[in-house]
Amino acid sequence: MTTAPLDKTNALETMPMGKSKLSHTAVFWIAFSVVIAVLIAAPLVLPEFWRRFLTEVLIWGLLAMSSDLLIGYTGMISFGHSAFFGLGMYGAAGALLVASPPNLWLAVLFGLAGAAGAALFVAFFSIRLRDIYFAITTLIFSQIFYVIIFTWTAVTGGENGLIFTRPHLSIPFLYDARFTTTTMHWFVLAAVTASYLILRRVTQSPFGMVLQSIRENEARTRAIGYAVERYKMVAVMLSGLFAGLAGVLYAIQNQFAAPDFVYFLTSGDTVIYNVMGGIGTLVGPIVGAGFFQLARELLSRLFGDQFPYLIPLGIVFIVMIIFLPQGLLGFARRWLNR
Amino acid sequence: MSEQWKHEKWAQDIWYRGKVTRRSIVGWGGGAIGAMMLVPAPWRAAFGAAKPYKIGSEQPLSGAGAAGGKTSIIGLQMAADRINASGGINGRPIELVIVDDETSPAVARQKVTKMVQDDAIDVHVGGFLSNICLACMPFWQDAKIVNMITVCLDTTLTTSACNRYTFRLHDYAPAQAVAFAPTLTKMGKKWHIVFADYSWGQSTRDAYVAEIKKNGGEVVGTTGIPLGTADMTPFLSKISGDFDGLFGIFFGKDGVTIANQAYDLGLTKKYIWAGDGSISESSNLVAVGNKLDGFTAINRYIPVFDGVLDTPYLHRFFEEGKARLAKVDPSHPLPDKYVQSNYEALNATKVGMEKAKFDSRDDSAKLIEALEGLEVKESDDFPQGDKTLRKDDHQAFLREFIFTIGNGTYHLQQVVDKDKTFVPPACKFQAA
Repeated sequence: MTTAPLDKTNALETMPMGKSKLSHTAVFWIAFSVVIAVLIAAPLVLPEFWRRFLTEVLIWGLLAMSSDLLIGYTGMISFGHSAFFGLGMYGAAGALLVASPPNLWLAVLFGLAGAAGAALFVAFFSIRLRDIYFAITTLIFSQIFYVIIFTWTAVTGGENGLIFTRPHLSIPFLYDARFTTTTMHWFVLAAVTASYLILRRVTQSPFGMVLQSIRENEARTRAIGYAVERYKMVAVMLSGLFAGLAGVLYAIQNQFAAPDFVYFLTSGDTVIYNVMGGIGTLVGPIVGAGFFQLARELLSRLFGDQFPYLIPLGIVFIVMIIFLPQGLLGFARRWLNR
Repeated sequence: MSEQWKHEKWAQDIWYRGKVTRRSIVGWGGGAIGAMMLVPAPWRAAFGAAKPYKIGSEQPLSGAGAAGGKTSIIGLQMAADRINASGGINGRPIELVIVDDETSPAVARQKVTKMVQDDAIDVHVGGFLSNICLACMPFWQDAKIVNMITVCLDTTLTTSACNRYTFRLHDYAPAQAVAFAPTLTKMGKKWHIVFADYSWGQSTRDAYVAEIKKNGGEVVGTTGIPLGTADMTPFLSKISGDFDGLFGIFFGKDGVTIANQAYDLGLTKKYIWAGDGSISESSNLVAVGNKLDGFTAINRYIPVFDGVLDTPYLHRFFEEGKARLAKVDPSHPLPDKYVQSNYEALNATKVGMEKAKFDSRDDSAKLIEALEGLEVKESDDFPQGDKTLRKDDHQAFLREFIFTIGNGTYHLQQVVDKDKTFVPPACKFQAA
């Protein structure tokens, strides 16, 4: 008689309902479907402002999620994501200004190409570095891109940035219509959902396992024969690509690109979203972005527009680091598993 | 019992005597409508019967632009208070909805969305930083809301980036260059321009290079200094050679820095020293003392009463502005061009709304029509002087003042009439 190793997932999935708990996978997909259904329905019931607000949360969430691949899974804290986000934004802006009529897919393509180019450049020079040295190098690169964009007025519009017309939502030969806030939301939701599923697959693949191994012990990963630099290079590029996609979506939603987004503060916000939501969870950073944006909005609504919301938010951030080091999602997970 | 009152005589008289008939409804309803029409507009405003117009204003009240934003609000509030005290617009009071853009385009976009969707503003009168004005321009167009810019200076706002919904009642660099270049070329033929190296500085530099050349002068060199540079000495120490005048293009604290450091390096003694009036705004003069003495500049507003500026309108504007500024700023600054342009922009919007019989933002098309080509005369509403709001690009033309600084104060040298500041329009509105 031969014995096979027990596949826990399959074993749980095949157990009759009612006798045991649902499998982890089933719970995940049910929760995923519910959340997506709620997000699809949201613009149909939300007022205009909150519709746009939710769409923007998803975009910032995508940026934060992209950096989670580096921070949470590879153990590399990046302060260069503002550059990837900004280059995605400017790439899309360039395509929308050049092409007549503006084309959505060309904007996506140019944006991703811009972000990929920047990511390749940054990765080439920084992957041999670790910890604080990697963080500082990425920060410096993002500032270099910022200065170039800020001063190269003829091409980038300098401090003023670029403004352009929003393209139509088009599927060649099938569909062509102006974006509304609702269709914009659905388009962003589709992009963020697809990005999440791809990143989830990546992190669960053997490639993702190697990244986690690098995070845990880089020297040992190298010692057992993995080309660590190559893995890090791909991780930075993948992360940069999704950050660039967030930039493209922001540009299409708001019809402008500005150097402020390339400034390192955007990277700082991204790290904060990760810490607040939960590092190494992919969904956590989206929750973090939502929490931060919502808290800011509610504080300014409650206490007036000039209320210094960063002070209470800073206190909340410190409290969370001390008492919820795993972030909101980590806390929720622990609470649910009690 | 709680329902006992219904049986009282007075209650029976009110509620149960007689029937409610169609005739009585038509009669009483018609009477009520007629009475409302007969009540004069100021009464309706005074007794709160009229719904106020909501005027949105996005300003930087925190972050790097906060000082300017807070000054701008003074101008808006001065105008709003005067409008409400005189019966409002079309008999309706106005209510300012001011939001803080935090000196960030991303925040500004969120806040203006809130202003439009939640606060339901009718018109927008505001905008301080050009990058934020530009970032919000597509939004105003999409929302079909008239956007009267109050401070943003960038040339492209009414040229390459213009749109039908946006107006600017104050000057821009090309008009100032046209007004100032003849004087500059009389002062000296060869110029070196030192400028804040970002979009506004660069576009202003280009305007002066073109106009100095057109007037027979020459710009022999230019030096760009990054925005916010605290130590400009490495840049300034390289400026030397055979030219007559040094022309500076800076604003805010960079204006203070260039004034101090150009003086300390002896550049202002060696060369004729001139530039954009933003360097010598009243708040900067306090900070630089006498180091700007001899500086010649151009501006649309200076807080002095020399010659043609000695008008009752300017006196009243100055006194009220000064008193209000003293309440918010302990350094007691004098009113500047930011107070003036916000004040006049809201007054011009009022004129347009009255002309268009504007009711709500659904009437934006009528308001645009009323504002296009608007001519306003020097008055309490427009103390700076006459203005023409050109139809082709929604850019205003107004008189400019050329002045020198002496003993830490302004001395008016020349007034350039608005007709001598015209620049051909360079705007193509998108088809509606």
